[in-house]
Amino acid sequence: MAALVRLSSVCHRGVSPLLFRSSSLIRPLAIQKKDHDCLYLISAKIHATPSNYASSGSKAASLHWTGERILSIALLGMVPAAYYIPGPAVDYSLAAALTLHGHWGLGQVLTDYVHGDFKIKMANAGLFVLSTVTFAGLCYFNYHDVGICKAVALLWSK
Amino acid sequence: MALLLRTVARQGLCSSRSQFGILYRHAVPMGTSAKEEMNKFWTKNTRLNRPVSPHISIYQWSVPMLLSISHRGTGVGLSSGISAFALAALVLPESYPYYLDLIHSMSFGPQFLAFSKFALAFPVAFHTFNGVRHLIWDVGKGFKIPEVYRSGYVVIALTVLASIGLAAM
Repeated sequence: MAALVRLSSVCHRGVSPLLFRSSSLIRPLAIQKKDHDCLYLISAKIHATPSNYASSGSKAASLHWTGERILSIALLGMVPAAYYIPGPAVDYSLAAALTLHGHWGLGQVLTDYVHGDFKIKMANAGLFVLSTVTFAGLCYFNYHDVGICKAVALLWSK
Repeated sequence: MALLLRTVARQGLCSSRSQFGILYRHAVPMGTSAKEEMNKFWTKNTRLNRPVSPHISIYQWSVPMLLSISHRGTGVGLSSGISAFALAALVLPESYPYYLDLIHSMSFGPQFLAFSKFALAFPVAFHTFNGVRHLIWDVGKGFKIPEVYRSGYVVIALTVLASIGLAAM
């Protein structure tokens, strides 16, 4: 996200002839008729969002992005917590955070590589089922078995 | 890419409106979102059965590229591992300590245990450290190319050290 903003400020300078920022380019182009058609095509393809669109637009994608980062930071904090204060609280928090982080991460992978309305729908449905089963399994493990923190501790003790 | 051009175009159009009123007159909003346009691209090109130009098969690999795809690879791998573990917890009849003892009874020696700890710790450590690198980018820092390489090497070094340290525990 930050990368896009940065790139656009760099590209802005490089792409300036295309946007006809200097007046010296405008005058000769406005006169010649055949160039005018080319300009029509270029400007017609420019996505000029009218100002009345600016207020009505979903912030869902932006909020999702922010949520992903906050979850990542929370998951980062759970690693020392699991080591220093193991127990059911951290176990269930880890189960939730790991599942959601994986769900959102795999969601991005699907968005990148799966194309076509039906395929996208099926892939996301499959992912949803997988994440649900994962969360259920981890909670089951936390409740009926030793729990995530203890499991790692046991695995490492031998 | 479309998003990039839009941002650039909007900046250009907004700040010098008076200069190309003549051009702007014909500019109509497209009325389609980026998502719709991407879908149109893919449906048209798959329908026409067009080949994709070689890209990853010809482009020279760089350290940042390798780290990026490894971040994705470790992410997918770790997620699959967690899902497999959760599924096993639901399906297998016995408890975790039982299966752990089962594995230890047929263990192939201390090197095997140390190696498997390393093999488990390595992707976790890498994904964690590279994840922090991503979060640093998300606050806008470290985009200069030398910085990208430097932070990448730091991630690799920390991953190796952490994996060895964790395997020794």
